[in-house]
Amino acid sequence: MQMVAAITLPAVGLVLLSTTVFSAVRPPKFDYRISTLENGMTVVLSEDHSTPIAHVEVWYRVGSKDEPPGRTGFAHLFEHLMFKGSQNVQSDQHLSFISSVGGDGNAYTTEDATVFFQTVPSQYLPLVFWLEADRMATLRIDQRTLDAEREVVKEERRFRYENEPFGLLSEILYDHAYTTHPYKHTPIGSMVDLEAAAIEDVRAFFETYYVPENATLLVVGDFETDKVLQMVEHYFGRVPKARRPVPREIPREPPQRSEKRITLEADNWPLPTVVVAHHITYDGHPDAYPLHIASKVLSDGQSSRIYRRLVYTEQLAITAFGQGNIIEDPNLFYAVAVVPHGTRPKQAEAALIEELERLKNELITDEELERSKNQFARDYVIGRFTNAQKAAHLAHAAVIHNDITTADGEFDIFINVTKEDVRRVARTYFTDENRLVMTILPHGSGEVGSRSR
Amino acid sequence: MSGTVSTFFVLGVLSLVATVPVSAQRVHWPHETPPPALLAPDVEFPDYQLHRLENGLQVVYVGAHEQPAVNLRLLVRAGASSDPTDKSGLAALTAQLLDQGTANLTAQEIAQAIDSIGGGLSVGAGTDLSFVNILVLKDSFEFALAMLSDIARNPAYTEAEIDRQRQQLLSEIQISYDDPAYVSNMVFEKLVYGSHPYGMPHNGTQGSLSHMTRGDLVEFHQRHYLPNNSILAIVGDVTAQEAFDGATRVLEDWPRGDLPTPNLQEPPPPASRLMIVDKPGAVQTAVRVGHLALPRAHPDYLSLDVAIKILGGEGGNRLGSVLRTERSLTYSASAEMSGRQFAGDLMARTDTRSVATAEVLRLTVDEISKMRRERVSGQELRRAKDYLAGNFPLTIETPNAIAAKVLEAILYGLDLDDLETYPERINAVTVNDIQRVARQYLKPGHLSMVLVGDASSFVDDLSGVGFDSYEVIPISELDISAVDFRRTKNAAKGKTLEGKDRRSRYYRLLRTRSLSHSF
Repeated sequence: MQMVAAITLPAVGLVLLSTTVFSAVRPPKFDYRISTLENGMTVVLSEDHSTPIAHVEVWYRVGSKDEPPGRTGFAHLFEHLMFKGSQNVQSDQHLSFISSVGGDGNAYTTEDATVFFQTVPSQYLPLVFWLEADRMATLRIDQRTLDAEREVVKEERRFRYENEPFGLLSEILYDHAYTTHPYKHTPIGSMVDLEAAAIEDVRAFFETYYVPENATLLVVGDFETDKVLQMVEHYFGRVPKARRPVPREIPREPPQRSEKRITLEADNWPLPTVVVAHHITYDGHPDAYPLHIASKVLSDGQSSRIYRRLVYTEQLAITAFGQGNIIEDPNLFYAVAVVPHGTRPKQAEAALIEELERLKNELITDEELERSKNQFARDYVIGRFTNAQKAAHLAHAAVIHNDITTADGEFDIFINVTKEDVRRVARTYFTDENRLVMTILPHGSGEVGSRSR
Repeated sequence: MSGTVSTFFVLGVLSLVATVPVSAQRVHWPHETPPPALLAPDVEFPDYQLHRLENGLQVVYVGAHEQPAVNLRLLVRAGASSDPTDKSGLAALTAQLLDQGTANLTAQEIAQAIDSIGGGLSVGAGTDLSFVNILVLKDSFEFALAMLSDIARNPAYTEAEIDRQRQQLLSEIQISYDDPAYVSNMVFEKLVYGSHPYGMPHNGTQGSLSHMTRGDLVEFHQRHYLPNNSILAIVGDVTAQEAFDGATRVLEDWPRGDLPTPNLQEPPPPASRLMIVDKPGAVQTAVRVGHLALPRAHPDYLSLDVAIKILGGEGGNRLGSVLRTERSLTYSASAEMSGRQFAGDLMARTDTRSVATAEVLRLTVDEISKMRRERVSGQELRRAKDYLAGNFPLTIETPNAIAAKVLEAILYGLDLDDLETYPERINAVTVNDIQRVARQYLKPGHLSMVLVGDASSFVDDLSGVGFDSYEVIPISELDISAVDFRRTKNAAKGKTLEGKDRRSRYYRLLRTRSLSHSF
């Protein structure tokens, strides 16, 4: 069939533009009220009357980066323990209560935060506040419960990471990319450290981190702000203040001074994988925004640079992408390629490095910049459909940025990023000495080694 | 739904177990029962509109004006169940190539056009349907309609693109075969559905993909991609008028055709069989247990679904209680019904450390037996119904979720009025209903059971817990298209494919920074 690369197609009505125009469409701003209780807890309320439901999240500003060596995985284990009973709530009863009213609840732990969330029909907000306040104030854990839940977390580690193809990718990458900062380990932690967790650690952790001044409550949904604020005051106001300030001393990662190259074999590794990683900056730093745009230029959509070259045109990779992991402390920008049989990993590695170098040597095109901004606008829009999504956006701004106005304000920052900004950040971070190249191979591949230049 | 939490929980709260408060400081905290609910608001199924074009295309509209976006979703009533016997993966490949070139645009031109406006485009196929999904910001609505029409009606299927996709899929075979979750699901479906198309991996096998030709794809497309075989959903920030006018203008000239008649034999009756796929060194075993059940439109589907939810779903989950809460044998245990167009199944699933495999298999089968043998208590049924009925507004939170329910109803020929009465119908289920469907449809003596893991860790324990008869196949010899599941020496290594968006799998490797408490 003849391919017609037409510019306009009257029959179909498709018009291919040679230059793109930034869409004028922007998402509506959040409408919220933020306040602080006397005990230090932050409260964010945002009404949404489209459905008679309400979503409640409690963010505790503690994650795996707060874990000392020897206690990796503890924040996540503790998250599990938060469901195991408090003064007025029996073990596992929190979620039973939630589901008995038709609600859905869960929790998760990241490097930077531990988040407990549930969505319920809106008439059950008092129940949710009562439950969250009860465990915030009076969590009760004994040795037997700790031991039992520890086994569940070990099964989780096996299930998500050890038993799955490529499951240990993050763990391997971060262990080699970091020497000192606790981003060196991942939130699941190691089996050895999970075994070592003791009941005294549980008490210390609870008193240190699970305090109102370290907590942010978000409520998004069908309610009236004034009434809910009163309820929140009632249930959470009585949680006692922290006795001492929350520690925030996280060991810093010293700058990497020379390129690292490592080749190794790993379990459950069906195909060779190349990772090119650079240390970058933190979420909220001015350089973060052009780095996000760089991620889009490299791998958002099938016309993006890494996809088009490595996966489509040269077929060096089954899957390949480049993106920044931009979180509370400086983390990594990584380009990854999974290499099919018949392709040498070196070819994929060279292509990934070239694509990162290109961002330093040439400006991205106007078209690429506008495309990235339109993609960013789309992300903003589709990331705000549900109450849960809205709550997460607001929480991220309030907790990670410590500035809730960035939930809307970031949009304008992105819209104003220039091509020069993108080149500048590439030059700042994608340097030789700041580069880690990892080649991870199936067992039996024969080639293993590491080198630092 | 009652306005107060039931007495069961009140009594539970008052009988406190003696545990140690975690906080060392004295906290003045009242002994309390949970607070009562506020006044319950009305819950109504939101508005939607239906329209049918002259050529038979059904169009569903759901307005959504909070966010300035529009989502178009075209469903074609043809999926893996329409694959010819030796051509498994045909529906999938036909769908996956839709956005890789049309009569008017190359693959890269399509990508360029969608990406440049910040749109999202995805295509694919499942067991009973294929789909084209386009999301755009609202000012690109006309563009999205035109693109959807071109992709659905004029795919180019060039040899170069076919080869490219094929290579991708063949490479993924490698990876899927190392994934115990994937392998266990695949073998389970084969045991349950036999030579029915639902029994073959819907993305095909190495053998079937290698033999697929351009002619196959074109023929499948011509036969199935018809307006009178399709449903279009338009969800978003346009008016109903704009939606229906747009759909009419762009799609009314899509010619209707004769509908293909499905020609499917029945799946085999349930038969007891325990299949072990040996993956030496695996730290966990993937466990899948179940059998044939009901197609989606069956009148007993609702009641049986409630029964299975008591067994392993939200609001109940006996399996979770026994395996995780009581015994810490797993991170996740569940059971669910899968009701498809022509048949369905029920499946319990869990994963456990290798040495605990036999015990977990025994406990899982025992729970299925118990479900059939004993009447559920009124309390347990109440809890399940409270969850399902109460959860209703959460399931229709977004316009896309609303449209999905409407599409599901149309696709399976369900009564659209039932969408609004779900909570009432759930609340009408009785203990007798549960007992009847459990007795009629649960067959604990005829279970398909699959274990994928390190056989040497558990195989000797099996007869001790009552499983004397089983087959063991090394994972390297597994061939899903072979009658005995075993690769013959001359056959190509039969491997299978991961169906979903391939890139999302690897994004997840590095993107998922967080760990959930429960599944």
